[in-house]
Amino acid sequence: MPLYESVMQEKPPIVLDIGNAYTKLGFAAEAYPRMIIPTELVLTTTGETKQLFDYTQTDQLYDQLVDFLQTIFFKHLLVSPKERKFVLVENVCGQSVIRETLARALFMHFDVSSVLFVSSHLTALSTLAVSTGLVVDIGYSETTVMPVFSGVQIMSAFKDHSYGSCAVHAEIKRQLLATGVKESLLSEQVLEDIKLRTCFVTTLERAQAKINEQPQQPPPSVDYAICDDDAVIQIPGTLRESVYEILFEQNNERDSLPHLILRAILDCSRDVRRALVESIFVIGGGSMVQGLLARLKAELQLLLENDNYYAAHFHGELQFKFYSCIGKQNFTAWLGGALCGATDLIQSRSLSKEAYLRHEHVPDWSNLCDNYRLNGN
Amino acid sequence: MSFMQPSPVKYACSCGILNPINKLFFCRHCPKLRCGFCVCHEIESHFCSNCLENIPSSEARHKKNCCANCFDCPCCQHTLSARATTVPVVRKTEEPKEGESGAAEVTAAPSPKPSAMPTTKKMYYLSCLSCRWTTRDVGIPDQGVATGTWPDKECLYQVRFNTLMEYYQTVVLQEKQEKQEFLRRKAPKQHKFPSLTDRTGLTVSLIRRQIGWTEKSMPKPKTVHITSAEASADVEPLSADIFTQPLNLRNITTIAQRHSQPADQPTAVSRLYPQRRSLWIKRSLRCRQCEHNLIKPEYHPTSIKYRIQLFARCHVPEVVMVRCEQPLQAGQSNAILLKFTNPTMYDMTISLLDAPPPDAEVNADAFQQACRIKEEAITSSPLLKSSGVTLARQNSTREVKREVKEVTNATIVPLESEFVLNQRDDSKEFDEDVQAPIEEPKFIVWRKGNKVLLRLQFSPAAELQPGNNVTLGFCMQYTYVNTVSNTPDKEPTTHALYSRIFIHAGDIVN
Repeated sequence: MPLYESVMQEKPPIVLDIGNAYTKLGFAAEAYPRMIIPTELVLTTTGETKQLFDYTQTDQLYDQLVDFLQTIFFKHLLVSPKERKFVLVENVCGQSVIRETLARALFMHFDVSSVLFVSSHLTALSTLAVSTGLVVDIGYSETTVMPVFSGVQIMSAFKDHSYGSCAVHAEIKRQLLATGVKESLLSEQVLEDIKLRTCFVTTLERAQAKINEQPQQPPPSVDYAICDDDAVIQIPGTLRESVYEILFEQNNERDSLPHLILRAILDCSRDVRRALVESIFVIGGGSMVQGLLARLKAELQLLLENDNYYAAHFHGELQFKFYSCIGKQNFTAWLGGALCGATDLIQSRSLSKEAYLRHEHVPDWSNLCDNYRLNGN
Repeated sequence: MSFMQPSPVKYACSCGILNPINKLFFCRHCPKLRCGFCVCHEIESHFCSNCLENIPSSEARHKKNCCANCFDCPCCQHTLSARATTVPVVRKTEEPKEGESGAAEVTAAPSPKPSAMPTTKKMYYLSCLSCRWTTRDVGIPDQGVATGTWPDKECLYQVRFNTLMEYYQTVVLQEKQEKQEFLRRKAPKQHKFPSLTDRTGLTVSLIRRQIGWTEKSMPKPKTVHITSAEASADVEPLSADIFTQPLNLRNITTIAQRHSQPADQPTAVSRLYPQRRSLWIKRSLRCRQCEHNLIKPEYHPTSIKYRIQLFARCHVPEVVMVRCEQPLQAGQSNAILLKFTNPTMYDMTISLLDAPPPDAEVNADAFQQACRIKEEAITSSPLLKSSGVTLARQNSTREVKREVKEVTNATIVPLESEFVLNQRDDSKEFDEDVQAPIEEPKFIVWRKGNKVLLRLQFSPAAELQPGNNVTLGFCMQYTYVNTVSNTPDKEPTTHALYSRIFIHAGDIVN
């Protein structure tokens, strides 16, 4: 019986969500990823660790992707990629060179049978079983806002800015350097650890009090031991509560996170705005910090009441509502991919090896050639 | 061979990537050098690196690539070991009969005669010998058996996930059926005689009803209703104690600890849970061109031997750089001492050229062609072709061959003649008698057994600056006796093969 099963059973598709900081990997129809690993690789030539998307030439990116995928398949997932189906969760506005190179590595080097590209924002909503929502993805290097209505992404209202976890790390570093901590101590890992274990998003009242120069009692400071250097640095309480303020900074550009959300809603047509206001879905590893949602809600309501522009454009009693995800925010997009890979879509919608080899090109929504071909047939 | 530092001598693989010889493989069937990049990796067997138990692949898949018995520490990812403790068990002389007398008796009157001999029982808990974490820290009860009974943590939203999955599967299936139905209606079957009623399907259902058959209809897939998630205006507020309570970093998990438990990613150390240890694999390597195995390990996890091992250093003469005669200076002629070693059981004739022979590439291809003809004969039967079945494994030679990137910046003086590298003979090492000196070419400095030390003259390019690295490049042509052959007569065949070799000789002195 086991032999029969192993022969007859379809191999489950592999679901990959390659993020800028962490890669989520696992199999379709499983409720959580097998592993979450840093998106970095060890170069075989020199032995140094390097970020995957740190490259100068496309060939170099190709080699790095091959090395990275090789470790995923043979160290973590322990399956042969040959003749397997894949679900790749991708950012709709990601670089096409990365997408093309990834497809080339999978089809040419690893000989996979098909790849299904799914949009991270759309697929994240599928974990809620709803079709309308404003998906806010707070990632490592950028924050993106994508309104989705009835399962259609409103591309014209897509918004993004470059404030993600990376910017928070830079802010922690800046503040710590100002207190006189040696720069050599503050590696990227240390900054990430400080952010994760000590920092939080403060409340709106305290943030405004700080802007108005009414100092409040800061939260207690923490002595933080850096294990590699036997050094102990003090993390001031003001740092703990203020580093996330860069997401909510008030400036004339009006591009902080609450502004981004409101502008994305305003860019949609009138009849979908209320639906979007009442279905905000915040995902991404950057959103797992304490107090973020409460602050975001308070900021949004405040802007709606006090800001002239928004007050003139939004009408009626509006109450911002938030979805809470199943699982954890940092793999919600992956989870959507795993759901998608469990259905028959993997057969009907994937880019098969034969189709890829015909043109050696991945169809892309932004490419007019592909759209033309689609309409022509 | 230097294991710790990168070797200055690199061989160009047939795919164009440079590697030291200990990272290369040699396909005897092609016959060409192969590297880790241009071979096909396959999974041979799964095993646990801690208990060295071999786990069949179907079971490994079922267990999610985790060992059933071994656990990793959630704190430091070290292996946990089971520790035994003895727990005294007070055995009662008269066990109250359950069911009949009921629990009231037990609580009311504990047995009047406590036993004279308290017996002990062995209980086990898991402990990390590296960071001293134990399962008792997080409140997992001790188990009566060391392995097998440790509970797994349930995924909290598994039920919801299964509902979602079922729902989407039905939705997609429904869509597919509707599409098929639509296509069927759009393109009616071609009949010999045209009929107006075909499109409606009216006649069919009428006739069926007259005969008394049941209505013919597609079985409607049952619709699954799912409760969508509800958005709520109440969000979790920041707790007020965060501004007053001091933070204890020891109670908060790090990112690595959270990611090692991807399902729940606990923030508090008290919610860490022992993680099942993930399996390791043994890999076998296969040449992409001819589909022959290059490396095949022995099946058993405790064995580190191979059933097939085609490492390049067992087949290709090894070149070791000994030293340069003079400090490197731009434009000045110099000489380098190289040691050649023959690893095979046959004598080799070696010549060093400054450029690959023009016909070398063609020869190798012709050889491959000859190999393939036999396979073609089997697979090219028309029946197989028409049914789209190919017996041969799919060749994946689509990978673009790349040019060797290394640039040489020194000119070598080719050796005036070829030389013979004797076969490897382990017993010769112990021979006492000194060979009669034979006439040797001038460039050979020293010879013993299967090793030759020779002197190669070169001059670094004149435009090099001090501090620049000098790279020598040459082409080594050698005869290789192949003991496996595809020809019917099993005679070993001799090939003239070549490899391109690049040597980092060092930096130009100031």
